[in-house]
Amino acid sequence: MSFIEMKNICKKYAGAEKNSVTDFNLNVEEKEFIAFVGPSGCGKSTTLRMIAGFEDITSGELKIGGKVMNETAPRDRGIAMVFQNYALYPHMTVEKNISYGLKNMKVPADEIKKKVDWAVKILGLEEYRKRKPKNLSGGQRQRVALGRAIVKNQKVFLMDEPLSNLDAKLRVSMRNEISKLHRELGSTTIYVTHDQVEAMTMADRIVIMKDGIVQQVGKPMELYERPVNKFVAGFIGSPQMNFYDVTVKGNTVMFADGSKINLPENIITRLNGKKDGLILGIRGEDIKLDSQNLDLYKDSIQHSVVENTEVMGNENNLYFTFGGVNTVARVSKYEISQVGDGIDFVFSPARIHFFDKETEESIF
Amino acid sequence: MKTKAKKISGWILTVFMLIMSLFFLFPVVWMLANSFKGDALITADMNSAAAFIPPALNGSFFDNYITIIKDTSFLRYMVNTLFYAAILIVLGIVVNGLAGYALAKIKFPFADKWLLIIMMLMIIPSETIITINFLTIAKLGLLNNIIGYVLPMIVNPFNIFLFRQVFVSLPDDVYEAAQLDYCSPIKYFFTMVLPMSKTVVATVSVFTFLGVWNDYLWPSLVFTSSDLLTAQIGLNSITSNDNTTMGQTLAVITMITIPVIIIYSLFSKQIVEGVVSTGSKEG
Repeated sequence: MSFIEMKNICKKYAGAEKNSVTDFNLNVEEKEFIAFVGPSGCGKSTTLRMIAGFEDITSGELKIGGKVMNETAPRDRGIAMVFQNYALYPHMTVEKNISYGLKNMKVPADEIKKKVDWAVKILGLEEYRKRKPKNLSGGQRQRVALGRAIVKNQKVFLMDEPLSNLDAKLRVSMRNEISKLHRELGSTTIYVTHDQVEAMTMADRIVIMKDGIVQQVGKPMELYERPVNKFVAGFIGSPQMNFYDVTVKGNTVMFADGSKINLPENIITRLNGKKDGLILGIRGEDIKLDSQNLDLYKDSIQHSVVENTEVMGNENNLYFTFGGVNTVARVSKYEISQVGDGIDFVFSPARIHFFDKETEESIF
Repeated sequence: MKTKAKKISGWILTVFMLIMSLFFLFPVVWMLANSFKGDALITADMNSAAAFIPPALNGSFFDNYITIIKDTSFLRYMVNTLFYAAILIVLGIVVNGLAGYALAKIKFPFADKWLLIIMMLMIIPSETIITINFLTIAKLGLLNNIIGYVLPMIVNPFNIFLFRQVFVSLPDDVYEAAQLDYCSPIKYFFTMVLPMSKTVVATVSVFTFLGVWNDYLWPSLVFTSSDLLTAQIGLNSITSNDNTTMGQTLAVITMITIPVIIIYSLFSKQIVEGVVSTGSKEG
């Protein structure tokens, strides 16, 4: 029996034509870190809020710790939540924000003090404990929100885009802090984000959603390496996967602009005879410009002209047109190209994905 | 850096505003200066600048005030009024605040229609319903009773509207966080909503105080016992008494005006912020 069980959970708002969440099924194990990820409006926050009890579950069953929680009040579900906008009590100091729940739970004063001391210490808030939220930075406020959640010893942590209001640098450090905190506390965590990097770097498993429907559930690398459909392939990974409409003749893949590449027999056979209505997907890092790969796949070398570059420091993104579509290749920092340079490249055959154009399901 | 022209126009504006404010201050200064004088001196100074200058500080300087305090119950009326204002501020914040909160945050059938009705009630002058209020209070046997005075004054559509406009912009996630912190809805209202809306609470308190302090008609209908009378009724009865001198009249008027000026000076920022915020926030 899993710690959190969600069976066929649906959410339909009054007056809405469509479900916001449809048949959401997920089992979360104790101490697991799950990330819900997807674009805006995909239903990830709605699902989290149904788990929290802030949204009614239209149909389906939610169990936490083996107990059905559909009708249970939020405070009796054994959860703590961190909100996107921190949701701190603006008129209370840091320590009062953190201790407020404990006071309401009638925890003895000395125990409250111990817990608040512990929380401010591990969150690095010792010197701010007498400050009010308006006198704190975004990162400090989010740490107070975390402190408020951790002192209550709840078994489930729900986090609704907790880092989305922070700047990029702070997001990275807070990401590490949350991961560290999760390991230290061993709480079951469900984390909602629209940032696939956050999901990839923090979660044990990722639930990727679109239009209220779960697209794929899996470990980060499973989603990256074996996406079940074009949406997942495109959503996970940055820069996003390149997609081309292609047809296959023999061992040759034909692109819309007439370009051709030859693929080994073992890859072609995996298409099970499907020759058209195909989408080829390849990630930027699997487009190779180095001489070793150009030698290896010399019968499939392609040529294009660099239209834009992004120098990232550790690597470069090269933008060019191939197969009639904008393409991005992620190359090492040593493979320097300028806008207007001609480049030769090959697709690493083993890294190519194929999708059915009609269903957008992955073929492999 | 300010240009010379801007500096000059700033100075001109300051001088102009100073002159304008003096115009508004003249009656108050005149009242204050003459409240310390005997009638003969008031008449003598009437047509000169001395009308705006208080008399020399001597043994009889506070005579008018001492007479009012000693010979009339005006101080008691003032204390009564302060007491009624305090009751109505507390009850008004609780009742109107809860109503405003319900309209802002709780989903219930026809909530928007209720708001419309409440807004329409704002345009009805209180004088038009005062007879009905009086008859109701009389039938309940609450004439000459503080409860009878207070009861019809608690609910105030304008204050409900003010509260509603401020509460509607309070973030919902704070309430959700409070729920997870084992905070009941009522506790949330008193320990979170009101402290988070200090400005509107201050505004409503000031408006309520001024309403009670300046009210004449309703207390004069409900109260006949002199123990319960309010400052405005006291002012009327003292000033209409033939034995009251002009100086004493001005002393009474000063006594009744000073608290209003103090309250306005202390809370003018909150009043402006409170009223402005009700218009500028999403609602």
